[in-house]
Amino acid sequence: MKAKIIDVMREISAESELQLVSELDDCTVLLESGLDSLGFAILVARLEEELGYDPFSIMDEPVYPRTLGEFVSIYQKFAP
Amino acid sequence: MTAGSLDAFLAGMDAERNSLVTPSGFITIGEMRDAAWKLAAEYQFSRRSRLALCGLFSVELITALIAFDGVVDSMLLLPASLDEGTIAVLMESAESEWRITNLQEGPYRVGDAMAAGNEGVQPTRWILATSGTTGVPKLIEHTLETLCRTVKRDSNRGVEFVWGLLYDPCRFAGLQVVLQALLSGSLLSIPQTGKITDHIEFFSSCRVNALSATPSLWRKLLMSKQTETLPLCQITLGGEIADQGILDALKYAYPGARITHIYASTEAGSAFAVQDGRAGFPAQWLDHSSAPVMLRVSDDGHLLLRPALLPAGEEVRSRIDTNGYLDTEDLVRVEGDRVYFLGRVSGAINVGGNKVTPEEVENHIRKVSGVLDVRVFGKRSSILGEIVTAEVVASTGYDVQELQRSIQKYCRSQMENWQVPAMISFVPALAVNAAGKRERCS
Repeated sequence: MKAKIIDVMREISAESELQLVSELDDCTVLLESGLDSLGFAILVARLEEELGYDPFSIMDEPVYPRTLGEFVSIYQKFAP
Repeated sequence: MTAGSLDAFLAGMDAERNSLVTPSGFITIGEMRDAAWKLAAEYQFSRRSRLALCGLFSVELITALIAFDGVVDSMLLLPASLDEGTIAVLMESAESEWRITNLQEGPYRVGDAMAAGNEGVQPTRWILATSGTTGVPKLIEHTLETLCRTVKRDSNRGVEFVWGLLYDPCRFAGLQVVLQALLSGSLLSIPQTGKITDHIEFFSSCRVNALSATPSLWRKLLMSKQTETLPLCQITLGGEIADQGILDALKYAYPGARITHIYASTEAGSAFAVQDGRAGFPAQWLDHSSAPVMLRVSDDGHLLLRPALLPAGEEVRSRIDTNGYLDTEDLVRVEGDRVYFLGRVSGAINVGGNKVTPEEVENHIRKVSGVLDVRVFGKRSSILGEIVTAEVVASTGYDVQELQRSIQKYCRSQMENWQVPAMISFVPALAVNAAGKRERCS
C-alpha cells in the first residue's frame, strides 16, 4: 500500500512540476512533503480510482493525517 | 468624523484597546484612528472622490478604510492578485479617479474628477470585485451597513475573541473578518504572507481563538499538528459547500468550539449562518418569517433569497424577481428536514474556493491536437470540495497516454493549476441529455 501511494505521489509531483522531498517515509510530514492541497486532492482521487475507495469520505472518526505513516494506515484500515 | 462611518464606530470604543497584531507588534484603536486621521488630512479627498485601493497590505488597507469611509464617494477594493489589464477595466467601470497602491507613495490621478457626485447624503460606496472566473470580475456595490448586516457589535463579548485573518481583506470574506473584529472590539491577528504553517505559528503566539476559512483550508489546517495549539472557540466556514465530513472533523478536533457555516456571497452579502453542526440548513427556514432571511427554492431548484439589505448596482438588480428575491444561482435539494447545496447552476466547479468554469477549460483542451471533443465537470473531493475532471474523445490514431500528457502540459501553460484537469479519462463518445445538451453533472 505504501509503495502504491508513494508511486502515485511521484507521478503527481512530476505532472504538476512539484518537488517532493527526497526521503519519503512514515515520519514525513504531509504538509512538508512537497505536495500542495491540490496535489493531495488528486492523490486521494486517483487512489480512489485505483483502489475503489476514499477513506476520507467514509471514515466514522473524522481525523486528517499529518504524516505519511498516518495517511498509509488510514488506507490500510479502510481497505475493503 | 461622519455619523455611521467606520471611524464613528471606533470612536465609541476604548482607544487604548489593542485592535491589530502583526509580527511587528500591537496597534491600538487610538493609534489606528490617528494614522487614519493623518492620512485623511494628507490626502484631502472630497465627497466626490472615487478611489481605487489596489492590493494594499492589510494594515494599510484597514487604515485607508477608516480614513476614507464617510469621506469619499466610493472605494474600489482590488486584491493584489489581479493583473494590470483587469485592474484598468475595473477602475474604468467604477469610474475611479484616484489610484492608491501604497500609502507612502500617495495617490495618483487616473481619471477625471466627477462634475457632480455624492454631496454627503449617501454613505460611501464600498465596491468589491466578485471572485468569478471567466473574464473580468463583476463589481458589487456595498456600504458599511450592507457589509455589516450580520456582524456582531457587542464589545463586551468581542473582547473575548482574537480573530486570525486568513483571507484577503479586499475580498468579501476577508472584509467580514476585519469588520467583525473591528466593530466588536476584538483583536485581529494579521500574519505576514507566507506558508500556512507560519500563519498557524503566528496565530498560536497571539492565542487566536476565532478563525474563518474555507472548508478546504480547514482540512489543510487539520493536517497540521500546530493547529492543535490554537485555543479555538469560534470556527467559521464559508466560500464553499461545508460538507458533513469537515463539520464532524472540526467538532472532533475542537469539541468545545462553536462551529458556524456561513452562506454568503459578494452579491448577496452575508445571508445566514448555520450552527447546528449539520450540513445544509433547516428546511423549515423556507418561506418562513422566522428564518434569518427570507428563503425560497424555485421550481428548478435554485435557491432564492430576499435579504433586508441588498447591495446596489445593475449586477444585483438584474437578478432580482418581481417579489424582491435574488437568484443566488446555487442549486439546492430538499431532503426531509434539510436543504442541501448541490453546486452552481452554471456548472462552475469550486476547487477549494477557486471557481472554475467548465467551458473555459473545455475551450483550452479543444485546442490540443488529437482532441475531438471534451466534457469538463467537477468530481467530489474529500480534500478540496471538488476537483476538475475531463472526459475526452480522442481522434483516431492518437496514443491516449501521450495525448493525456499533451493536454495537461498545454492546460498548465494556459491556466492556473487548480483549473487543470486532475483526472482525464478517454471515452468513445460524450453523453448528451434529452434536450441535446451536454451533461454537466458528474
